[in-house]
Amino acid sequence: MSALGHYLEEEGIATVAISLIRPQTENTKAPRALWVPFELGRPFGPPGDPAFQKRVVLAALRLVVRASGPVIIEDFADDDPRARPDPAWHPPALPGGAPDAAPEAIAARLEAEIALLAEPHRRFVEQHGRSAVALSGLPIGDCGRYVAGWLCGLAPPSPREGFSAPLLLRFAVDDVKAYFLEAAAAGPAHPSSRQLGDWLWNDSAAGAAIHRLRAKYMTAEDERLKLIAGNFMVPGTRQRSAT
Amino acid sequence: MTRLTDMPPAQAKRLAELECPEFTTRPWVAGPALAQRRVAIVSSAGLVVRGEMPFRGRDPEYHVIPGTTRPDELLISHISINFDRTGFQEDWNVVFPLDRLNELAADGVIGSVAQTHYSFMGATDPVQMEPYARELAGRLKEDAVDAVILSPV
Repeated sequence: MSALGHYLEEEGIATVAISLIRPQTENTKAPRALWVPFELGRPFGPPGDPAFQKRVVLAALRLVVRASGPVIIEDFADDDPRARPDPAWHPPALPGGAPDAAPEAIAARLEAEIALLAEPHRRFVEQHGRSAVALSGLPIGDCGRYVAGWLCGLAPPSPREGFSAPLLLRFAVDDVKAYFLEAAAAGPAHPSSRQLGDWLWNDSAAGAAIHRLRAKYMTAEDERLKLIAGNFMVPGTRQRSAT
Repeated sequence: MTRLTDMPPAQAKRLAELECPEFTTRPWVAGPALAQRRVAIVSSAGLVVRGEMPFRGRDPEYHVIPGTTRPDELLISHISINFDRTGFQEDWNVVFPLDRLNELAADGVIGSVAQTHYSFMGATDPVQMEPYARELAGRLKEDAVDAVILSPV
């Protein structure tokens, strides 16, 4: 991000970068940067808090008109209030299953949970006016079946032109994660990302299926599949050495 | 959940020490007061408008996000899974603060908001992005943009 600022500034456009990783910004010496103490993925802070977000935007833009540079790195002082867990949040009730179940059982559970979460997911979309489920281009039921097929070792071909089967698997996994997390966030409570992640990775069939996919294919002969399974399915903070 | 300090130490170290280009120049562009500035967002979140081909691998190009894009049309296709996406799922302003910019323009705090915004995929080597970034500067100037807010994930 800081490098982009450098290139644009060299071309005559004033920039200010939001910095989530201060050491990177310090190394690159961006013309102007505002470091924010938020988690990665939230450069402007809490969702649903326009006043807080506006303070971040303004703090950044005010650096654009400051005359004391080049190289300004300023720190935003306030933490993201939505990073705190919300004790009022309760995850969707799911039937659960044995973590060491056969792939076919986890696959069946995944498809069943997708159906169970349809109503809370509909409420999330109604509540927030948006959904991030769309990268694969498949309806969520088809995403579940595609992921389930890989889980059962069927290596289903890609139904989308321009997407190899491993690439479509990556996007289908992204969509399944987004669908579960959105369904779990429906309602008046404000769960933290950690609360949502704990539920997804420890208690849902999606978490069980994706952990198992990673373990199954991270040693695959197909290099693309191996790369995707090893690096682009389970976040580093959630990886298990053996599943 | 995904602050640098919450990551496995090796992963946090890799991110903190990610190789960045070493620049010998220190560019610095001055300009008018904030109330006269035209502001664009340039993101590195791998943002795409629904229906477009997502970013793949470490594509160095940028995608165009028209200012008329609706919140339900914007998606993250960044290759990394090591950052929170639940904030963006709920409220696009967490990553793409277009509503906030439009409010600041309506209040007269900034001059105006660009007609078009842009996104790169931040995991790409910045050296690969350089020609596209320099070409993008021309498009920003055509839109009379004189302030860019760079938004990472």
